[in-house]
Amino acid sequence: MKLTRTGLILKSAALSVGILTASSGFAGQFDGVTLRVATWGGSWKENMVQAIVPKFEALGGKIEFVTGSPQANLAKLIAARGKAPFDVMETLDAQEKEFFETNELIQKIDLSQLTNKEYLDDWQYNEWRVASWSTQEVICYNREKFAELGLPAPTTYKDLANEKLAGRVVIPDITSGGGFANFGAIAYAAGGNEQNVGPGLEVIKSLNSLKFWSRGGEVVTQFESGDVYAAVVHAGWCLRARKAGSPVDTVQPVITGTSHVGVGKYGWLVIPKHSKVPEAASWFINEYQEPEFQMLYAVKSGVVPTNRKSISQLASDPIFAEMLELDPAKIGNQLKINYQKADTSDWIDQWNRSVSQ
Amino acid sequence: MKTRWEYVLLPSFLIVGLLIVASQYVFLKGSFFKDLGLGRISDTATMVNYLRFFTDSFYLNTLWITVKTSGLAALFTLTLGFPVAYLIARMRSQWSMILLAGIVVATFVTIVIKVFGLIIIFSADGLFNQALMGLGIVDTPYTIIGNQTGVVVGLMHFTLGFGVLLLYSVIQTIPRSLEDAAQIHGASRWRMHLRVLFPLSLPGVTVGVLMIFNMCMGAFTSAALLGGGRVFTLPVLIQRTVMMEIKYSMAGTLAAVLLVTVLLINLLSIYLIRRLRSARLVIA
Amino acid sequence: MSSNAQFSEAANTGSLARIAQKRRKGPPPKRGYPWGKLGHYIYCALSYIFLLSPMIVVIGASFHGGEYYTAIKFPPDDPSLQWYTKIPTTQFKALALSFGLASLAALGACIIGIPAALGIVRGKLPGRSVISSVFRAPLQIPAIVTGIAFLQLYYLFGDATGLYFQGTFIGLYIGHLFVATPYVVGTVTAILQRFDVRLEEAAFSLGATRWRTFRRVTLPVIMPGVYAGALYSFMVSFADVPISIFLTAPGFVTYPVELFYGMENDFDPSILASSSLVIFFCLLVLLGMQKLVGLDNLLRSGSR
Repeated sequence: MKLTRTGLILKSAALSVGILTASSGFAGQFDGVTLRVATWGGSWKENMVQAIVPKFEALGGKIEFVTGSPQANLAKLIAARGKAPFDVMETLDAQEKEFFETNELIQKIDLSQLTNKEYLDDWQYNEWRVASWSTQEVICYNREKFAELGLPAPTTYKDLANEKLAGRVVIPDITSGGGFANFGAIAYAAGGNEQNVGPGLEVIKSLNSLKFWSRGGEVVTQFESGDVYAAVVHAGWCLRARKAGSPVDTVQPVITGTSHVGVGKYGWLVIPKHSKVPEAASWFINEYQEPEFQMLYAVKSGVVPTNRKSISQLASDPIFAEMLELDPAKIGNQLKINYQKADTSDWIDQWNRSVSQ
Repeated sequence: MKTRWEYVLLPSFLIVGLLIVASQYVFLKGSFFKDLGLGRISDTATMVNYLRFFTDSFYLNTLWITVKTSGLAALFTLTLGFPVAYLIARMRSQWSMILLAGIVVATFVTIVIKVFGLIIIFSADGLFNQALMGLGIVDTPYTIIGNQTGVVVGLMHFTLGFGVLLLYSVIQTIPRSLEDAAQIHGASRWRMHLRVLFPLSLPGVTVGVLMIFNMCMGAFTSAALLGGGRVFTLPVLIQRTVMMEIKYSMAGTLAAVLLVTVLLINLLSIYLIRRLRSARLVIA
Repeated sequence: MSSNAQFSEAANTGSLARIAQKRRKGPPPKRGYPWGKLGHYIYCALSYIFLLSPMIVVIGASFHGGEYYTAIKFPPDDPSLQWYTKIPTTQFKALALSFGLASLAALGACIIGIPAALGIVRGKLPGRSVISSVFRAPLQIPAIVTGIAFLQLYYLFGDATGLYFQGTFIGLYIGHLFVATPYVVGTVTAILQRFDVRLEEAAFSLGATRWRTFRRVTLPVIMPGVYAGALYSFMVSFADVPISIFLTAPGFVTYPVELFYGMENDFDPSILASSSLVIFFCLLVLLGMQKLVGLDNLLRSGSR
């Protein structure tokens, strides 16, 4: 079954209309409640506007969005001290330490509202956070260009240090969404770990005249224009490059020296401590797990859903099955950086010094 | 009767001064304390951040790159912008308004979009490289992303529109009759520029160039997008320190150094220009 | 300087012709274009191409005919207007906010900036360059520092007084006003320095009050500087990203921030379409201003 975006949009629209007509006329559970959601802008937010906002409005409430990257929103949260600038927030696994070391910033989620938990694994939710999505950080490469240059498909990061690829490789800037995960993975593959990233920096230096991307859209453009032959990105961007016409394939990188293949990056949903509407926030978090919404973002962005039903639905599409790793066992074997052990601020410092020109 | 202009100035001065002091106080105060991670700041005042800045070649180099790119951008903007401003100011036909409109419209486009346009132009199969390779000047594509050239180009785009408008408003306060008189008097065109136009426009141009320089020193968006994550200017570093490392103290230190540098350069320039100035204000 | 005096005298007494006859060497002087008119035009054309090319590429690329995911190319592969129909309403709301905010910021900057410029140029204050530096200071503070500094200031202020400005329109406005004012101060200062005070003295001597003189004599002459400063303020406020990132709130997202973060996660070609609309709209406004008021009346400094 080929999944199309329009098909999903129609389905969610139908569902929303159904809910609206069904519930019009009676006092909603969330009458007069305004829920502020901190998330990325652009089409990511549009997915929520399409799938979740109508349902909340049918219950009498209103959703407003605070757009920004998780880092920007975290900065706002910290600056806010005793107040909550928003009620539910998307965070990254890389921000674990900030949030979960002290629990000063967040409050408990009402898990009784999480009706979708039957579709989640145990590690994907607890009373402090619920998983939102995951991405698979892969090596995306242009198979035609590689064939022209007589190079075999890459299997790990070091393979990209080939001089024939000089200037044609991009990896994520450390400040981009995929920055920490990939940096940590490169460090691991070079023999380092969370506390010793030096070897990773050496490998990065060896990928000579390397460019760093901070916006995923850039990578898609650069594959198309022929600027780039290989990139370290999350599989979703590789998928988009393929749909844009570039002959690209994904490779789950082998983390040499470990048993891991592939790298997983996870997003979490949390509720800021001083939010006054935790019930609405918990409702939202549950809605996030609904298959309708999850498929919307999965198809658009190539991001892997959390809901098991959605993952298997995705696996029935050949392109997704090919470019993403959807076998649960293999997903379990992907490298997940343990941010409790990492000093990301030190990572950034070392990175800055090593790459500056 | 003499108007006490000082009193006129007072309310504005108080408002602006208060905002500056208040906003910077909170932020810069933190620079005298140590970061404890997660946005927390210690309680004991210490100069350790400043010490770290001035003894670390990475930070000093960042300061230098910031000044260098801003200075170059300001210089090139002046070079490109002054003739255009002169042309529009002296033109008598309706075309001058169209040209001016072009400048204003270009400045409306957010730098984010302009950078995307630049990326498309300078990409491997973009117009620029197609031309370059077609003419045989280079055989591998040239890129401006990720090096200081790109940052300078970005800064120029950021400030060129403003620059032309500023210079335009300065030039058209200088009466054309002065130029005509000089030329009738026998001065060659270059001489007229050197002895009449440049000295008279110097105060305004100085203000303009300094404004452009300051804009570049504080510019974050262009440097971040075109620096490709490799060129670190102070604004980029400050943003990283605040948003990624959440070290408000160190960021405050960086900001303080940036601020003081800019002030010093401004004061120095004004002083030098005053000394060099020989033309006096004359209104015919 | 004696030569200046000579020029003035020549201009005033009409003896230009005699002097011209005596002093002219060679063919009649062309307008002051050192490289000749053609050379100058070519140079300016190059400058324009430099400035306008990204915009043209953006407009061209907005006619992108491809699917959602395809990369943006210029010239576009198969032109279509599809993205113009797919601009999300959030972008329009953001545009409206940016526009209103920028207009108010320009207005406020004039109200604060004109008296400031008058005081700097005319006031007999010691340390004038310091005072003028204070007014220019907001330009020197990196915008991102201003953003987060104001955010923290608002929280501190809110904790102390109970009045919270962060996330409100006023809070955002104050931040924009802060960075907009220096431009008005700068341009009005520049034009005031060339202002002939004798015009005002003449008005006084004829019996006008101070306010009347200001309104009927001073203001019209400095108007070009005011308009220029207001225009810069508008543009700075409209295009600002770093300050707005921290001071926006749910329901109040400015257009550039909407774009900046929109591009971060996902690249949506409708951005190019909405930017092109901004460009077209701007052209329309300028055209309208030209028809109604005549741009030259706004920006030129009267009869000279």
